[in-house]
Amino acid sequence: MFSEQAAPTAQGLLAPPSGEPPTFPRVAAEGYSDLSQPFRLGERSFSRQYAHVYAVRLAGMRPRLERRARGRWGNDIALRRLSELQEGEKCCVVGTLFKAMQLQPSILQEISEEHNLVPQPPLPKYIQPSDELMLEDELQRIKLEGAIDVQRLVTGKGQRWLWWQPPCRGWLGLSACCAAGTIVAVYGCEQEDGRFLVEDHCLADLPPPLPWSGPSSDRFVLLASGLGLGSMSGEALLSTQLLVDVVTGQLGAEGEQSCAAHITRVILAGNLLSQNTQSRDTINKAKYLTKKTQAASVEAVKMLDEILLQLCTSVPVDVMPGEFDPTNYTLPQQPLHRCMLPLASAYATLRLVTNPYQASLDGVRFLGTSGQNISDIFKYSSMDDYLEILEWTLLAGHISPTAPDTLGCYPFYKSDPFILTECPHIYFCGNAPRFQSKLLQGKEGQRVLLVTVPDFSATQTACLVNLRDLSCQPITFFSFGADSED
Amino acid sequence: MERPRRITDSFPRRRRRGPGRPPGRLKDRKDKDKDKDKTQLKVRDCPRAASQPPPDPALMEMLRRFDLSWEYGPCSGITRLQRWERAQELGLSPPGPIRDALLEHGDNPDVTYRWVWDGVGW
Repeated sequence: MFSEQAAPTAQGLLAPPSGEPPTFPRVAAEGYSDLSQPFRLGERSFSRQYAHVYAVRLAGMRPRLERRARGRWGNDIALRRLSELQEGEKCCVVGTLFKAMQLQPSILQEISEEHNLVPQPPLPKYIQPSDELMLEDELQRIKLEGAIDVQRLVTGKGQRWLWWQPPCRGWLGLSACCAAGTIVAVYGCEQEDGRFLVEDHCLADLPPPLPWSGPSSDRFVLLASGLGLGSMSGEALLSTQLLVDVVTGQLGAEGEQSCAAHITRVILAGNLLSQNTQSRDTINKAKYLTKKTQAASVEAVKMLDEILLQLCTSVPVDVMPGEFDPTNYTLPQQPLHRCMLPLASAYATLRLVTNPYQASLDGVRFLGTSGQNISDIFKYSSMDDYLEILEWTLLAGHISPTAPDTLGCYPFYKSDPFILTECPHIYFCGNAPRFQSKLLQGKEGQRVLLVTVPDFSATQTACLVNLRDLSCQPITFFSFGADSED
Repeated sequence: MERPRRITDSFPRRRRRGPGRPPGRLKDRKDKDKDKDKTQLKVRDCPRAASQPPPDPALMEMLRRFDLSWEYGPCSGITRLQRWERAQELGLSPPGPIRDALLEHGDNPDVTYRWVWDGVGW
């Protein structure tokens, strides 16, 4: 798309400069509204247990799952709670899944002296054939077996108490450790040995669709993630500068410039700083040795400020924080503070937003994260493809089911903001190993474009999404080395 | 000679706290010495204004039954009113008289059942 429109006027670069250079006004972005209010935390209190998150998640998703179960297995199936199960009776149970994984890093095991264990190094995947799957509802849990793929399904383990608490008479039952993970409905019957034999299971499926009122002409949004500043690699910086030049229209002939004028927004999906800025070896050193040293992130943020300044003078930019950015660790990550970006925050086109981020642009609903939820599911499940995991979270109806178990999360108590209540039009995740995209069609008329935005510092690839027809194409920037022939 | 006037005279006077004391409700300082025993139910440890009459035991029994009913979710770490409102929003239809009782005795810590005390506890 981009290059097809640019091709006819490619000869413009070989012509002498014209007296009146043409200007291409950028297409104005109409109808932008930021819908990530549920992800903004005001007054934060961490003195709550995580049991509330699981309780509201189950209570919030139970009606949808019961409807889905009735639609799939018939209106007359028996919906039972685990405490009402009878042996041999075929019924359907709705609950949260959890997987007992042996290799899962456990802080209690690490600090336990009787085991004398060396803390295990971080593995790419923590799954094992001996993992067991269990289903939990408000009061009880039961082991699952049968037509259910233990390795593939991702869950979370039981919640652990984070600090000592006195024995309490409230909210007990066998599941004093409430389960995390996805909410599923399983259909089967209970065996004599107390396990539940599963014949079929279903997830919440796609949420109800949103009406489509997208633009009628070509409008592009650029998605990039993982700029990785501060990693001291010159090549990545050149690619970043090329990206900025393309977007601001300083690269290419008139064809490319007129195409770039159709880019209405740039969304930077996390990891603006590189992992190298996170080195904390200065913490263990004595104060007199570290007095003059500066955190590596200071230089990186200055570079980020300059890059954002160039972008903001020309196009609205949404900046989402990522795993290595200077903001809080737990999801939902709060926006970067504007005091870190003094030059760029003078412009109103810069918007510092949360992770996950939800917005409506020109009638098209965007929803995306910086990739921590997907990479966490990748570690605890046998699914390898980021696009498959992204699709799976959409079908499960929850942005990050592994939070708060293996992924840090704020202890919500009123409602779980990660539950998907409406189907977005564009669902993306940042910092994926490579670019992938897929247009998903739902049964109720949902049309979702799934995009895995690649890590820019590794792949030098960004994505251009066309809002008119929900198509996506990658755009790669690289320079030729001194020894390559061209 | 009278004391020379300072710019800070126009600022409101505040009671000084000790250097290591966390900012908290000042009325707790009196009661801190009284309860050493934190392992008991926290309800008894919360400071109570002396002017209030002790709450009705039947009311306390009703509230405790509301706490222990599993349908409305976990009860720890949030006030009873917050738990009631959360149950209402999730469509679990909690009993109305509980809310009236909570609003009526809203200033009595035994009734509101906030388990967090000075940032410690759960």
